[in-house]
Amino acid sequence: MSRIGVFICHCGENISRTVDVERVAAEVGKMPGVSFSTDYKYMCSDPGQNLLKNAIQEQKLTHIVVAACSPRMHEKTFRKAVEAAGLNPYLCEMANIREHCSWVHENKEEATVKATEIVGMMVERVKKNRVLPTITVPVTKRSLVIGGGIAGIQAALDIADCGHEVVLVEREPSIGGHMAQLSETFPTLDCSQCIMTPKMVDVANHPKIKLYTYSEIELVEGYIGNFQVTIKKKARSVDEDRCTGCGVCMTKCPQKKIPNKFDQNIGMRTAIYVPFPQAVPNTPVIDRDNCTWYKTGKCGVCQKVCGPGAVDFEQQDQLVVEPVGAIVVATGFDLYTIDEKPKGSPIKGYGEFGHGKIPDVIDGMTFERLASASGPTGGKILRPSDGKEPKQIVFIQCIGSRAREKGISYCSKVCCMYTAKHTMLYHHKVHDGQAYVFFMDARTPGKSYDEFWRRSIEEEEAVYIRGMVSRLYQKGDKIVVMGSDIAVGVQVEIEADMVVLATAIQPQKGAELLAQKLGISYDKYNFYSEAHAKLRPVECATAGIYLAGACQGPKDIPETVSQASAAAAKVMTLFSKDQLEREPIVARVKESGCVGCFACKKVCAYGAVEEKEIRDRQGNLIKTVAFVNPGVCAGCGTCQATCPSKSVELDGYTDEQVIAMIEAL
Amino acid sequence: MTQPIDTSIYAAITEAIQAEAHRILAEGEVTAIVGYAAARRKGSAQPIIITDAADSVKLIFTPACVNNLAVYLTKAKKDIPKNGKIGIVVKGCDLKALSGLMGESQLKREELYLIGVPCAGVLASTVCPDQELTGDSIAPKCTECDAHLPTGCDFVPAETLVTPELERKYAVEIARLEALTPAERWVYWKEQFAKCIKCYACRQVCPFCFCEQCLCDRNKPQMVDTTPRPAGNTAWHIVRAMHLAGRCAGCAECERVCPMDIPLNLLNRKMAKELKELYNHEAGFEVLDKGPLNMFTEKDDQSFIK
Repeated sequence: MSRIGVFICHCGENISRTVDVERVAAEVGKMPGVSFSTDYKYMCSDPGQNLLKNAIQEQKLTHIVVAACSPRMHEKTFRKAVEAAGLNPYLCEMANIREHCSWVHENKEEATVKATEIVGMMVERVKKNRVLPTITVPVTKRSLVIGGGIAGIQAALDIADCGHEVVLVEREPSIGGHMAQLSETFPTLDCSQCIMTPKMVDVANHPKIKLYTYSEIELVEGYIGNFQVTIKKKARSVDEDRCTGCGVCMTKCPQKKIPNKFDQNIGMRTAIYVPFPQAVPNTPVIDRDNCTWYKTGKCGVCQKVCGPGAVDFEQQDQLVVEPVGAIVVATGFDLYTIDEKPKGSPIKGYGEFGHGKIPDVIDGMTFERLASASGPTGGKILRPSDGKEPKQIVFIQCIGSRAREKGISYCSKVCCMYTAKHTMLYHHKVHDGQAYVFFMDARTPGKSYDEFWRRSIEEEEAVYIRGMVSRLYQKGDKIVVMGSDIAVGVQVEIEADMVVLATAIQPQKGAELLAQKLGISYDKYNFYSEAHAKLRPVECATAGIYLAGACQGPKDIPETVSQASAAAAKVMTLFSKDQLEREPIVARVKESGCVGCFACKKVCAYGAVEEKEIRDRQGNLIKTVAFVNPGVCAGCGTCQATCPSKSVELDGYTDEQVIAMIEAL
Repeated sequence: MTQPIDTSIYAAITEAIQAEAHRILAEGEVTAIVGYAAARRKGSAQPIIITDAADSVKLIFTPACVNNLAVYLTKAKKDIPKNGKIGIVVKGCDLKALSGLMGESQLKREELYLIGVPCAGVLASTVCPDQELTGDSIAPKCTECDAHLPTGCDFVPAETLVTPELERKYAVEIARLEALTPAERWVYWKEQFAKCIKCYACRQVCPFCFCEQCLCDRNKPQMVDTTPRPAGNTAWHIVRAMHLAGRCAGCAECERVCPMDIPLNLLNRKMAKELKELYNHEAGFEVLDKGPLNMFTEKDDQSFIK
């Protein structure tokens, strides 16, 4: 016989304002099986929890119903309290009389009756609750980090410094990501490469980091603590073990006019190349699309000049399987381009800015390469069209960002700061030049950020014009910028030598495809979604997968680094135990009824359902049934709803429990 | 007006089935064959399982070969040898059920030897089996058949079929019911379900009702009232129709065996029509990994979300 204890919470006045909690407690006390019922102002408070714990011991309660807020809010709190008092936590249920009752009703009499019925349902339900033991799964203490930008590098170094192996996978031939492309960084104007390259070298030299560059994630199987990741190592055409990085092949390659993506296609590279001189690893890659050998079968100069014989034209893509326990996703961002209207996307292009046809209209990243000492112009600000120094330069902020009519409503967050930085870099390099900035607002929250922006105006002579630009067009060798100054209320026309657009930050192309491989969710822009916007900002809803950097949303470097370290801390928390504990709300197959149609397997979004053979003692196959791997199951219940013979039950949400609730009404 | 249907090739088909059955049994390609044999009454037919090549002369194909033999491979398989390939005689409609069962992991294609039958139609009722097949006596399902000639079988007699265009009996009836108001339709189905005596013959004969324990027989918790009363009857028939949606291939065995003449296949056809309209799905000869209701695509109709 169950001895159920019911605890009705006032939630301050949130519940008691519209529900007569004392009456509910009295009514519920009369229900069969209920041996104790009371009400309290704040059940979740320390005295409230003690009231619960004491009642369990004094009244010898066997099942608990807490009538309060949503279980999303405090189910964990009360289950922990119940466990502390010596009961299995899954013998405690919450009746939601706040969101489901007091908050949505005004009539106190009716709300009280409804609250009593809600509690009555949970009383009937809790009678059918069973003791559920916590599930433990082993943890593989190795981590995968996807993306070798600053986020991935930081996360990898933090995890590896803790003594755990890290597999770092980068799509490009070198790690470094976008940060390696930057010239200087705000708000201190220190050289990006100077602070970045030592970290890149640390990664290369770290005994606990296994680096895969020019590689992509092919397949992800498994679950938290036990992922199997298949990595595709694209054929580099250069043997990494033999190559000494001397670079002779690159100097001799006859194909010298291939636009270098690292230099935003304004600098040129050879067909056998490293994207930039400080690349890690310093092993070149042959770009097979542009290599004479692959196009015509002739040439092979690089192979001839290579002393160690590292060039291998026959190299094939390789698939490598790595077992890992946790995954940090740090795939970063891409920039919005005004060149085209992306196919099948709600994002509209910028026809009024010439659709990318005006050569001296560049984006912020291209300006970074122009300003960079290692860039194609050796750090001189020169126009891509004729190589002249621009004397009038216009920066336009919020290109794509905060432009609902263009398809993106979010703020890209870093553009105000980097445009301010650009005006300074320009002023430092072109002393007689004038920089103009068209902006909507200056968004500069952050340590020393607003001071930095003020400095660009007050000390570095940038002219900020509040207003947007309606049109850009070429007039001789000038670009006419037509905009408005809304502070003064006049139309502005500037004949500029160069225009820099602060284009929006977007997720990497194909971000959604990786998300589908990983089984993580993403928003309508394809930014990856965190489990909780405020309280779980680095975890994915899929257990064991963590986010770092701009793949989750626009971020600057300090934020990215902080999040990367936070993700690393989450991974280390996971790795701190040999066995992983998880909530036992998982599906279970009643094998006697299962006929092995595997409808459950087909609908399972988590790949938790496996096939299991049942054999007799002689080893003869009796039948093949479904088996739910409790380590993988997320407890969504889709299999339970799909099973035609009702042979799958979700622990904690069994048909028996749900029908008991319905019948209580 | 009675429209005659040419079944003259059935004799040649019978001979071809017998010859092929003899060969595969004698050569040991299969261990047993599920087919049709003559029953005691003149013109009647019944399922038979043969394991001896000498028995292959017993096999026939006539308009009285109404049964869907697929059930003999799943829940009624006690007389089927456990080892080796099994041969089975299939009409187009039966083959669709087999394809469905393969998609649901109940059968494996490589364990079957399919003897397909070009079929112009079978009788609606075997009460008087010794009668000519006509537009009146033909099973309603055969008036809408799009699978007279099964494909993908291991053997099909090379006979040419003549299949006259007939009035599509279910389509006509569905159109009639769709024209009614929801209240009128409810009255119609309530009357139909009220007749049910819960004999579960429909369940017994359905190739897709292969559960070892039907959820309607479970009592902890009791999902469906088991006594033949209106609420339980309606619940049973809704469960049956819903569970067959996207799977039922229209062999109409449920309707044939129903002692109370409930138009069960009418409900199945309506569900099939919905599936066709919503997901462009039709049960066919193709073995599908996932049925239309077991998957989600972004293109799926979501107009039901209001």
